[in-house]
Amino acid sequence: MALLDDLRQGVIDGNAPGTTSLVKQALSEGTPAEKILNDGLISAMAEVGRLFEAGEYFVPEMLVAARAMKGGLELLRPALAAANVQAIGKVVIGTVQGDLHDIGKNLVAIMLEGAGFEIVDLGSDVSPQKFVDAVAAHKPQLVGMSALLTTTMPKMKTTLEALNAAGVRGNVKVMIGGAPVTEKYAMDIGADFYAPDASSAATRAKAAVQGR
Amino acid sequence: MDSRERILTTLNHREPDRIPFDLGSTQVTGIHVVAYQRLREYLGLPRVAPTLCDTIQQLALPDDDIVEKLGVDVRGLFPLNSHNWNVVGKDIGEYWEYVDEWGVVHHRPKPDGLYYSMVRSPLADAPVTQDDLRAHRFPNTGDPARIAGLRELARKYRAQGRAVMIKGVLAGVFEMAQRVRGMENILMDMASNQALAGAFFDKMVELKLAFWEMALPRLGDVVDVVSEADDYGTQVSQLISPRMFRQLIKPRLATLFARIHQLAPNAKLFFHSCGNVRPLLPDFIEIGVDILNPVHVTATGMEPHALKRDFGKDIVFWGGGVDTQDILPHGTPQQVKDDVRRNIDALAPGGGFVFNPVHNIQADVPPENVIALWDALREP
Repeated sequence: MALLDDLRQGVIDGNAPGTTSLVKQALSEGTPAEKILNDGLISAMAEVGRLFEAGEYFVPEMLVAARAMKGGLELLRPALAAANVQAIGKVVIGTVQGDLHDIGKNLVAIMLEGAGFEIVDLGSDVSPQKFVDAVAAHKPQLVGMSALLTTTMPKMKTTLEALNAAGVRGNVKVMIGGAPVTEKYAMDIGADFYAPDASSAATRAKAAVQGR
Repeated sequence: MDSRERILTTLNHREPDRIPFDLGSTQVTGIHVVAYQRLREYLGLPRVAPTLCDTIQQLALPDDDIVEKLGVDVRGLFPLNSHNWNVVGKDIGEYWEYVDEWGVVHHRPKPDGLYYSMVRSPLADAPVTQDDLRAHRFPNTGDPARIAGLRELARKYRAQGRAVMIKGVLAGVFEMAQRVRGMENILMDMASNQALAGAFFDKMVELKLAFWEMALPRLGDVVDVVSEADDYGTQVSQLISPRMFRQLIKPRLATLFARIHQLAPNAKLFFHSCGNVRPLLPDFIEIGVDILNPVHVTATGMEPHALKRDFGKDIVFWGGGVDTQDILPHGTPQQVKDDVRRNIDALAPGGGFVFNPVHNIQADVPPENVIALWDALREP
């Protein structure tokens, strides 16, 4: 469908005004909201992720594409709710206690949203108890933790222990990332998986909730 | 050979009598005050009330006794700026809050957070126009009060036989624009409103030039190295494409660096960028960078043997001595020694190398590991 192809390309190009006007047009033509979401917005962000992993896109191109996607998604939300379209999963995400860096975490949240997840963003400097409370309140499938500093990385382990102690660890998969974090560290502290960048975080999160 | 001769020899790509050692001469080659106090105690040095050369990062200015004991070859001049000039945290409940001379708001977790981190930028609210930028009040970077006393200090360091370096008073052209405009905003401006992004970068160059044009005529004859810094690399790649760097940033850096070389013709230019900057190294060299810091040896593309082979004759490596993200804080002293030897083997032959870890020694680094690093460096 040419309109959805244009919409998809608008997101890839980071054209926010073009994206919102095409979403409006698609809705007014009666295109199902779920189809606009999947074939337009989500499909576009998957391509943005591919371009990022291929080294053709960098953070600025990813951010403007995400801005376009978010603008389109806001317009689409009422129609998605009316049609009872569910997100593919829910993620509680935050930067761990003592760490005020949030750019990496924000990029991951954007790419997860672009992959069809509902995001509960707890912000930065999030205490283990706040993660526990958010898991209890929002019942997500996934928890994402970020740390930029070697000195705050240990809080990932503390948070995992808090989730265990609260008896909710078994309900969620835990993903971690951030500059000093590695696959090995994720395994050492008992997280479920690690992602080296925002794009692969979205791919791995999707695989995790779909049981692959 | 005294310390200064050792540094000058290596900066001119000749091998000195031993590998020169930097500790604490810049805001990117320093030591966190917590690690510093533990190191002093471990070395049996008396307790001191340490001076911070960078309050935001809580970096200690090494005292003369430890400089002497460890044979540190270079000393830094720290002009007054938002990181060390009246940095006073206000108690706002959960955090100490500090609003700097740029209007950037920083928070440090209470009671004893290890750093201040930026939480708000003064021009973050989109949409911002070039008129807003013109109307914004920026600090007076050309104020001579910023370098009061530094000439005497430089002469003292020189008299002690040490090389002297000086840093500027604002972060890199790209990074300072991020602080003022907000990181995500400036990155999006670079992709969708290049005229605005360019105006921000021009402003930062103007403010840098105002500082160097004031400072270098007064200090240029007593400093050996001028340092500038920015950050383009990530752990695996770059934040922005090399194409975008060449289009929006490189020409502005070229102007800045040419002027610094003109103002201080005998000083070498040190340039910092973390992460994988390998694709940008030919550009750095082309626009007058003499020294690369930090040599982020664990980032993709930054394998030290290959860097030395491909760029060693054109650029000095300052840093890269030991991995600071895993081995220095988390490794055993033996692992630290092994990593130091590996990096020295790659980077030191033929000169063109000053030893320092990949980045500041953080609060979580045990003193045993700092001494293991030093022992490995001093092994024949």
